[in-house]
Amino acid sequence: MMTRTASTPFEFKAAAHLLFIEREQARNLAELLDALLSCSENSIFQHTFRTLEEHHFIKEGFSNDFAHWASSELGVIGLGERLASLDVREFTSLSSLRSRLIQLVEEFLARNPSVREQIAENPFYFCSSKTVVLPVQTRARDLAEFIDGLKQVSIHSIHYHFIEARLRRKLETNDFSLWLEKELGLSRAASLLNRIDIYTSTLDGVKRKIAQILENATD
Amino acid sequence: MEDSRSIPLQPDTTGQSHADFPSPRERRKPRTSEVPPLAPPPAQLADYETIIGNAQVDELRFLASILRGKTVKMVNSTAVGGGVAEMLNCLVPLLRELEIKTGWEVITGGNDFFEITKAFHNALHGGEYALTEQARDVFMRHTEQNRQRMNFDEDFIVIHDPQPAGLVASKTGRSSRWIWRCHIDLSNPNIEVWNFLQPMVERYDAAVFSSPAFARQLSIPQALFYPCIDPLSEKNKELEESYIREVCDNFGVDRSRPIVTQISRFDRLKDPVGVIQAYKMAKKYVDFQLVLAGGSASDDPEGAIVLREVMEAADEDPDIIVLDLPPWSALEINALQRASTIIVQKSLKEGFGLTVTEGLWKGKPIIASAVGGIPTQVIDKLTGALVHSVEGCAYQIRYLLMHPELGLQLGRNGREHVKENFLMTTNVRRWLLLFRLLSEGLNPAPR
Repeated sequence: MMTRTASTPFEFKAAAHLLFIEREQARNLAELLDALLSCSENSIFQHTFRTLEEHHFIKEGFSNDFAHWASSELGVIGLGERLASLDVREFTSLSSLRSRLIQLVEEFLARNPSVREQIAENPFYFCSSKTVVLPVQTRARDLAEFIDGLKQVSIHSIHYHFIEARLRRKLETNDFSLWLEKELGLSRAASLLNRIDIYTSTLDGVKRKIAQILENATD
Repeated sequence: MEDSRSIPLQPDTTGQSHADFPSPRERRKPRTSEVPPLAPPPAQLADYETIIGNAQVDELRFLASILRGKTVKMVNSTAVGGGVAEMLNCLVPLLRELEIKTGWEVITGGNDFFEITKAFHNALHGGEYALTEQARDVFMRHTEQNRQRMNFDEDFIVIHDPQPAGLVASKTGRSSRWIWRCHIDLSNPNIEVWNFLQPMVERYDAAVFSSPAFARQLSIPQALFYPCIDPLSEKNKELEESYIREVCDNFGVDRSRPIVTQISRFDRLKDPVGVIQAYKMAKKYVDFQLVLAGGSASDDPEGAIVLREVMEAADEDPDIIVLDLPPWSALEINALQRASTIIVQKSLKEGFGLTVTEGLWKGKPIIASAVGGIPTQVIDKLTGALVHSVEGCAYQIRYLLMHPELGLQLGRNGREHVKENFLMTTNVRRWLLLFRLLSEGLNPAPR
């Protein structure tokens, strides 16, 4: 294992979120579209990025709350599949993610106008989350310390650094890859981390894969 | 069709043959203690480390460190009995251990007050009720008496449910933050009663609801705290295999064959007769026993009638085991859940459905109606199976008994879902976050 020491240590953090109930509700796709246009960015965050963390133990069949509602409550499987195919890591801003969600619903309604007013079994209740960032008492100056730290921290920390980081950094990467490349020169490992599929793994599985890639890192 | 006898079963650790089990009549006389046992001491934070991991307990400690020295007062209407008192008995010691000085006070009132608050409770669930001037006066008079008796100098005042909601009249412009924790479903309230309470509720700094579906449109922020279970309580803690075996033996439950269980009081809204109908449909294809275990029907006239209906529907079937248990049977219920192959909750109407949470926590595949808070917990095909009819329930019982590997996967996911979202430690985290956000000046109203 390489032994290069970082000039700036990696400080593991975690984010704690508190859910709030918002005013918007949708009983059908027309109302969902209205609500997607007017809801806060915190709501978009909650029902896409955050819900992935809340359901981190599921490795197939759950992607975001909009997709789940369209499939299971409205029974519009085609839209459910399209919404489920959204990968939050392709978005570095919530406004672009919101636009994409709206586009998918509009396109579906244009092709299927008859389902516009179809009533869902249960409404979609918009929520939002407020975030408090927590420092974790774990720092890493080299690869060995980083792998040790990674194994100690909670899945909340993995979500914060590996998934949410894109929104903070406005970059299509994550905190781990950035640090590993910049501080330790591990560009290949950094790139491999970005190829981990978060939608076919649990977050614990993601954590194990990151550790596995880094334990084999040589560049 | 597959022979039901070839289905892989849970391991038989009893060493008993089917013939050793008591007859149906004998097994309907469960041996439980006749007096409530002493409550165990409250758990400490370190006790949860083996369940949620050191990192998450450390996160709680960090969140609390920012609030160290802050004071909290919890107020509700009863010190014993009911879910709120049970939850506070666990939450308050944990907050104190985290050095948040937390007090707990109970409002007092005469029979007239509690009769009115009981009527309010039913009306807020949508029941018919004519709110009289006299009822308002009694409510306000007792609220005033409690207000005079209590001090509200703490940093955070948390008022639970509608009975003490009027105490918010003591809120001044000083630094205390007031939170109304509503544990009941306000989705379809008697509008007269709600109109009476709403101005009080909107004086709080924030409200907390158990589900978005239970909330109202309010001018104050509304946080979402899912109800939770304590993994270390008697109802949920890990049990020795020998104890589970002893309970099953006492109740005449044969562990060498699959067991499908519904735990609920004998109430038509829990549809125990529908569960028996589902059992009869599924039993044509697969061999299993049905256990219906619930709270005592002895002090509830309607419960006794429903229990009689259940016994009639069971029709002396030796594989339907109906257990009318006293309220202090948490350990026995825990053992029955752990012994079960599948847990059913076929309610027609439900609150959040904490018996579902308990079943999920025990890693059992759950078949449950898509009502109340159940769909939040049972994500269809991922953490259990949602059903909408007796027929659907029967089919899912058959399917899961025929495909135990799917049941294991659902059970694993279900337990993780509870671990992440519905444990007492998650609620401690939510309270700490809410206190912190209120300290920092949470926006007074949603957009």
